[in-house]
Amino acid sequence: MRSFRQGWAIQLRVWSALMIRELSTRFGRENIGFLWVMAEPLLFASLVGVIWRVWKGPEEHGIEIVAFVATGYIPLTLFRQAISRSVGAMKVNSSLLYHRQIKILDLLLVRFFLEVLGAMMAYIFIGVILMSIGIFPVPNDLGMFIGGWLIYCLFTLSLCLIVGPLSEMSEVVEKLIPVLVYVMIPFSGTFTLSSWLTPQAREVLAYSPPVSGMEMMRHGIFGGLVTPYYNFWAPFWFILIASMIGLGLCRRVRRMLIVE
Amino acid sequence: MIVCENVHKSYPLGHGRNRVLDGLNFTMNRGERFALLGRNGSGKSTLIKLIGGVELPDSGKIIRSMALSWPLGFVGGFQGSLTGADNARFIARIYGRQYRDIRDYVEDFSELGRQMKMPVRTYSSGMRARLAFALSLAIEFECYLIDEVIMVGDHNFQKKCVAELFEKRPDRGLIFASHSSQLVRQFCQRVLLLDAGKGTVYDDMEEGLGIYDGL
Repeated sequence: MRSFRQGWAIQLRVWSALMIRELSTRFGRENIGFLWVMAEPLLFASLVGVIWRVWKGPEEHGIEIVAFVATGYIPLTLFRQAISRSVGAMKVNSSLLYHRQIKILDLLLVRFFLEVLGAMMAYIFIGVILMSIGIFPVPNDLGMFIGGWLIYCLFTLSLCLIVGPLSEMSEVVEKLIPVLVYVMIPFSGTFTLSSWLTPQAREVLAYSPPVSGMEMMRHGIFGGLVTPYYNFWAPFWFILIASMIGLGLCRRVRRMLIVE
Repeated sequence: MIVCENVHKSYPLGHGRNRVLDGLNFTMNRGERFALLGRNGSGKSTLIKLIGGVELPDSGKIIRSMALSWPLGFVGGFQGSLTGADNARFIARIYGRQYRDIRDYVEDFSELGRQMKMPVRTYSSGMRARLAFALSLAIEFECYLIDEVIMVGDHNFQKKCVAELFEKRPDRGLIFASHSSQLVRQFCQRVLLLDAGKGTVYDDMEEGLGIYDGL
């Protein structure tokens, strides 16, 4: 028990040191510093929200359009950013592996944590701003929202665990990732609610983990305006299996990693 | 104690593999000082990286049962885009020290002064070596892994290393890769000679150095 506690203390120490380091290398200490971490999701969500507002009018199926875009874009940006940050995460940080207490899994986890942190801050920020001008509802069911957020995040993490090591093994992966992430957008539930779709399309999308997460989040926020279609077991099995594969790949890639 | 059991390591070379270490065995007890000798490309740096856990062996086992420094060499251990001070803070954090507790020692030993606020990538190899040594001495390891690097320092730095590492801390272990028989004679008690992927330990320094000179 004691050695577990010691190990855990070292783990926390390593994570916090890596976080601080990642923040200072990426954002520096100039102007707003690490607050930049939420800049990208925030800008994406608000600018696309404005475009949609002008293009499509104030509402979509009775839902405030800016709020709808924001609730979709912030998780999507998290997903895209987290995946692209995990590409090459080990190679660029390989000098850190000189210190035995740092494992390659830590390098992936820290980058992922940081994206989650940025997305969460952006979500809260944009929610509060939009709420204060009356176009964002007070969340209807926070538990449901958090459940959906967790599914979305774990889904993202499980893919990062695969993409990270694969990108070290083959350059092709590195080049394919941006395209694959883009093609995935229709299966992410970002721009549509399942209840707007035909039953057939809905059935297919029910197997997509991010759709379940997104439906839960939106139901948690908009309440009765959204009839959520989600299931628990599809994301559960997906996340479990993808994480196992990812952890296996991490072990493999660690053996062949060449550190200058 | 450090034990290497039947360690193999190869790197990709064209379509095949370049076998660097091919069944290496040795045991080093606490407090012993090994000179790691071998010709260029014989696997000295590779072995130091494997012992330090930077890279993993293809097969075989490495057992470490003491607090081992990270490999102190020309590269590695630092993030080039961060300043010396930020790197020092980072290393202090992951080894569980407060930077402010070791700052005076690090600044005094490294003599980097204002350059601590410059990115490490602008440092000369001598400056990097000074910083790495200062940090690893401040953190206090039981055994130091040193890859050539003392050689790049100026006379003053070498004198300091001798004073801190060998006079003030005579109980510490050392694995020291070098080509300088003068430094090796001064610092080490035993020779681990690498040749053709295998390692041989010579308890008699002069015997080991003699065979090394004949390679």
